[in-house]
Amino acid sequence: MTLQTTDTALAEEPHFARRMVRMLLADRFALCAAIFLLVILVLAIVGPSWLGDLATKQNLRGRNAAPFDWERGWVWWMGADALGRPLLARIIVATQNTLMVAAGAVALSAVVGTVLGLVAGFSSARVNQIIMRLADVIMSFPSLLIAVIVLYILGSSILNLMLVLAITRIPVYLRTTRAEVLEIRERMFVQAARVMGASSKRILFRHILPVVLPTLTTLATLDFAYVMLAESALSFLGIGIQPPEITWGLMISQGRQYLTNAWWLSFWPGLAIILTTLSLNLLSNWLRIALDPVQRWRLEMKGRKNG
Amino acid sequence: MIPPPDSPEGAMLRFIRKRAVASLISLVGLIVMVFFLSRLTGDPAALFLPVEASAEMKAQFRELHGLNDPLLVQFARYVGDVVTGDFGESLRKARPALDVVLEAFTWTLWLALVTMTLVTGAAIVVGSLAAFRAGGFFDRLSSVISLLGASVPDFWVAIVAIVVFSVNLAWLPTSGTGSLLHWILPISVLFIRPFGIIVQVVRGSMIGALSSAYVKTARAKGVKSGPIIFVHALRNAMLPVITVIGDQAASLLNGAVIIETIFGFPGVGKLMIDSILQRDFNVVLAAILVTALAIFLMNLLIDLAYALLDPRIRH
Amino acid sequence: MKRILVLGALMLGSALSPAFAGSGPIKIVLAEEADLLEPCMATRSNIGRVIMQNVSETLTELDVRGDKGVMPRLAEKWEQNADGSWRFHLRQGVKFSDGTTFDAKDVKHSFDRIMSDKNACESRRYFGGMTVTPTVVDDFTIDFKADPVQPILPLLLSLVTIVPEETPLEFVREPIGTGPYKLTNWTPGQQIVLTGREDYWGAKPEVTEATYLFRADPSVRAAMVQAGEADLSPSISQLDATNPATDFSYLDSETVYLRIDHNIEPLNDVRVRRALNLAIDRQAFLGTLVPDSALLATAIVPPPTLGWNPDVKVFPYDPDGARTLLEEAKADGVKVDTPITIIARSANFPNVTEIMEAIQAQLQEVGFKVELKFVEVAEHEQYYSKPFKEGRGPQIVAAMHDNSKGDPSFSMFFKYATEGTQSGFSDPKVDDLIKRASAAVGDERAKLWSEVIAYVHDEVVADVLLFHMVGFSRVSERLDFKPTMATNGTLQLSEIKIK
Repeated sequence: MTLQTTDTALAEEPHFARRMVRMLLADRFALCAAIFLLVILVLAIVGPSWLGDLATKQNLRGRNAAPFDWERGWVWWMGADALGRPLLARIIVATQNTLMVAAGAVALSAVVGTVLGLVAGFSSARVNQIIMRLADVIMSFPSLLIAVIVLYILGSSILNLMLVLAITRIPVYLRTTRAEVLEIRERMFVQAARVMGASSKRILFRHILPVVLPTLTTLATLDFAYVMLAESALSFLGIGIQPPEITWGLMISQGRQYLTNAWWLSFWPGLAIILTTLSLNLLSNWLRIALDPVQRWRLEMKGRKNG
Repeated sequence: MIPPPDSPEGAMLRFIRKRAVASLISLVGLIVMVFFLSRLTGDPAALFLPVEASAEMKAQFRELHGLNDPLLVQFARYVGDVVTGDFGESLRKARPALDVVLEAFTWTLWLALVTMTLVTGAAIVVGSLAAFRAGGFFDRLSSVISLLGASVPDFWVAIVAIVVFSVNLAWLPTSGTGSLLHWILPISVLFIRPFGIIVQVVRGSMIGALSSAYVKTARAKGVKSGPIIFVHALRNAMLPVITVIGDQAASLLNGAVIIETIFGFPGVGKLMIDSILQRDFNVVLAAILVTALAIFLMNLLIDLAYALLDPRIRH
Repeated sequence: MKRILVLGALMLGSALSPAFAGSGPIKIVLAEEADLLEPCMATRSNIGRVIMQNVSETLTELDVRGDKGVMPRLAEKWEQNADGSWRFHLRQGVKFSDGTTFDAKDVKHSFDRIMSDKNACESRRYFGGMTVTPTVVDDFTIDFKADPVQPILPLLLSLVTIVPEETPLEFVREPIGTGPYKLTNWTPGQQIVLTGREDYWGAKPEVTEATYLFRADPSVRAAMVQAGEADLSPSISQLDATNPATDFSYLDSETVYLRIDHNIEPLNDVRVRRALNLAIDRQAFLGTLVPDSALLATAIVPPPTLGWNPDVKVFPYDPDGARTLLEEAKADGVKVDTPITIIARSANFPNVTEIMEAIQAQLQEVGFKVELKFVEVAEHEQYYSKPFKEGRGPQIVAAMHDNSKGDPSFSMFFKYATEGTQSGFSDPKVDDLIKRASAAVGDERAKLWSEVIAYVHDEVVADVLLFHMVGFSRVSERLDFKPTMATNGTLQLSEIKIK
C-alpha cells in the first residue's frame, strides 16, 4: 500500500508539486525554514562575487567595531572583526565555502554509509562482518589523525577537508542503516515481497530504504551542524581551512579568543550555524510528515482551513 | 562443558568468538595502517629538539629512538615488542607509552560513562514525550532546545559557564581535577551536544514506532494502557537510538578535546592531539589501540543489545 | 628586587599565620605542561620554568633584572687560564636534595651527560661547533678547555644544569638538584609540587611550596587567578589583561620576523626585499593587533642583548618607495609578479592569523602577489629549517625567535650564517663578521655584533624584522613579583615575594 501511493505520487508530477507547496504553506515553521534556506542558498551562490571585496577590505582603526551601529552601512550592522572587516559581509561571503564543505561531507558520508549499511544488512554473514569491522576501524581512527595524514600528504584544500570530514561520519549512517535493515527485513511485508519473488535490489530500494530514510534524514540534518563545528576545531589546530579562505567555522575559531571582550566575532557565525541547522531540521520534520501517506492529512487539513 | 551448538548460549558464544577474531584482525589492520601512515607525516626529531639543533643532533635523536632504520625493520621491532606487552616509550615524556595512555584513558572513560548515562536517560524521556504529542508545544520547545544543543559551539558554553559559575558566582571551581565539584562543569558542557542529537533521534524514531502497524495492532487489540503502548513503541524505536548513542559515546571515548583543553582535564583527547602534532608515534599508537579496544567492545555490546531488543535479528 | 635575605628564614616557622604572611605556599598556572622534568632539558621553556634554578642549579647565572652580567651561582668565581681555558672555583658545603655533597665530579658528570649519545639532551646544542673538555682539578675546582677558545664559556655554563654524579645517562623522571626546592609530587596531567628544602645552601625563599597547574586556554588561566585558584599566571591574553592591580606586561625576549628565502627569484633581488620592508606599516600594528608596549625590531635579538645597535633605524612605512623599487626591479627583468607564499604557523603567537592577513593586504597594496599559508608545527619546521625543498617557489616564513641569553651568538649563526639552519642566504662578509664576533671579547665583541646587526639590516636586507613581543602576566595581589624577559624560560620562585 505504501508503495503504491509513492509510485502514483511520483507519476503525477505537477499535481505532486502543487500539493507539496500547499502543505508547506500550511506549516508556518517549515515555511520560514524553507525561505531561510532559500536565502542562504542564494547568498552562497552570489555572495563571493557580490561582497567579496568588501569582506576582505581591512581597516585596523575600526577593528572589533561593535554591532548595531545603524548609522553605518548595512554590512556593518553586525560589527567588525579583528581586522575591521564587516562581519555581515564576511558571513555572507563565507556561506559558499561553508555550505560546500558541510553539504559535501554530509552527502558523501550519508550516501556511502547508507549504501554500505544496506549491503551489510542484506548480504552474507561474511560481507556483513567485513563491512562492520571496517566501520569499527573508521570509528576508532581519531578524526584529527585522518585530517593530519590526508592534509599532510594531499595538501590542504576544501575538497580534501570535505573528504576527511566525510570519512569520519560514515560509520554512524552505516550502523544505523544496517540495524534498521536487520529489523525491517524480518517484517511481514518484506518477507511477503521476497516470497513473491522480488529481487534483492528491489526489496532494498523500494521496501527498505523508505523506512530507514526518516532516521537518516534526522541524522544528516544534525550532522550539518556537527561538520561545521568540527571544521572549526580543525582550523583552530591549523589543519583545516585557513585564511584568507573563510567559513563560518573558521570565523568562530578566530573569534574564540575575543569571546569575553568582543562576543560578536564568534556569535554571529555561530548563530548562522544554529539557524541553518534549525531550519534544516524543521524542514526535514515537515518533509517526513508530507511524504508519509498516513500522516499527510494533518498538513492537508490545515492547508484547507487556511486557504 | 560446551553447550550444544543450537542452544541460545551456544549461538551467543559462537557469535562472540567469531566477533573477537574479526575484531582482532581489524585491530591489527588499524595498527599497521596508523604505524605506516603516521610515519609519512614528518620527523619527530625536528619537533623534539629546538630549531637551532644541528643535523648531527637530530640524526642522533633518530638513532636513539630507532627512527633511522628502514620502516619495515622499525615495524618488525614494534610488533616484536608489542607481543611481549611493550608498547614502547613516549618520545616526549620518556616513560612507557601505555602507562601514559592508560592514565589518561581512565579519566576519559569515567567522563564518557557518566555523561552518556545522564544523556541517555534524559534524552529518552524528553524525546519520547515530544513524540507522544508530535507538533505540540512540548515537542516544539524540546526541538528548539535540543537543536540548539546540537549546534552550539561547545567552547562558548564552556567559557561562559566558567565566567558565570566560577568567577562571578564562585560556586564551582574553574577547571582542573580534585573533587567531585570539578566534574560538574565539564560534564554539563559535554552533555549538551549528544543530548541534542539523541533527543531528535528518539523523537523521530518514536513517531515512526507509534504509528507503526505493530503498535496499532496492540491498540486495536484493546491494549488501552499508555505505559504498555509506550514500552512497546520504545522497544521498537530503540534500534537507531542505540546506534546513535554508540556513535556519540565513541566520539567521547576518542576524547573530548576542547573540553579537556579548556577545563584542564587530563583525558585522552588532548593527549592524542598533542602526540599527533608532536609526532610521538608510540603514544599515538597506544592511544588508538586502547580507544579502539573500548570502541570495539562497545559495538559488540550494541550488537548484543540489538539481538536482545529484537529476537528476530540473528546473524 | 634582587635576592631574598635572611628574613625568609625567620618567618618560615610562622608560615600558616596570616599575621606574618611573609611566607607560604603558592600556586602557579602555566600554559603548557612540563612533559619531562629532566635537568638537561631545562633550556626548553616548559621544563625550565618549573625546574631551572628552583630544583636544578647552574654554575653561573645571567642577571636579567639588573646589568650585572654573568653572576656566580654554584661557582663562586672563575678566571681564564693562560691557554684560554676557564677555571671555576666551586661553592663548598652544597648538598643535593638526595643528601650527597656537590663537588667537581658532579660538574664533570653533568657536562659529560649532556654530551652523551645515550640521551637527547637539548642543552647540547649550545656547544655545537666546539669541543669542550672538563678536567677535575680538585674537589672544588674544575677546568673547562674549549677548542676553539670560548670567550662566553661562563655564559654558556649558565645553561648547564648540575646533577649528581650517580645520575644515569638516560633521561630521568625525578630531577635531583642543589636548588632551594625539591620535587615532592608529580601527577602527570594534573600538577607538579615543589617543596622548599631545609638544607639549601643559600637564603631561604619566602615561597615555601609551589604547586604548578596547567591550562592551555589563556582566559581560563586569567580566571583562575581572579577566582583565587592560582596566585600567578605568567602568560595571559592581552585581551584579558584589564586589571591594572594584577596584570602586568613585560618584554618577553621573543622577536617576530619574516625569514626571506633569498635563493629564489624575485626574493634574490635586494630591491624587492627592501620593498617588502617599506610596504609594511609596522606602527599601525602597535596597540591594535600587537600590544602597545611591544617594540619595533631592528635586530633579531631584543635591546638588552650585547651589541644591540641603537643606530639601526626601523624601515619607514613608505608604500610609494616600495612601488618605485618594485618597478625598478621589474624594469631590470626581475619577475616581481611571481606569487610569493608567506608560511605561518597557526597559534604561533597571539593574533598570528590577523597579523599575517594584514601584512598580506599591505604587501598586495604596493603590488606584490602574496599568498598566505597556515600550517601546523611539524610542517612549519620543514619550511623554516634546512634542507629546503627542491623546486620550491619564492617563500617567506613567519617565525618567532627567542633569545633571552644576553648574547647574539645564540641567534646570529643560526639565522644569518651560510651554514645556519634557518638562514635564507649566504654572504661571506656576514660569515666572517659572525666568526670574528663569536671569538671576540668585551667591547670588541659588542662592536662586531653591532656591525653584523647593521650590515644584515641595512645592506643585505636579510629579512623583515617586525616586533619584539610583550607578554602579559596576572599576579595575585598577595604576591610581589614582576616578570622579566627571562620569565618565558625561567621562573625563579626565590624572586617571588609574599606580601
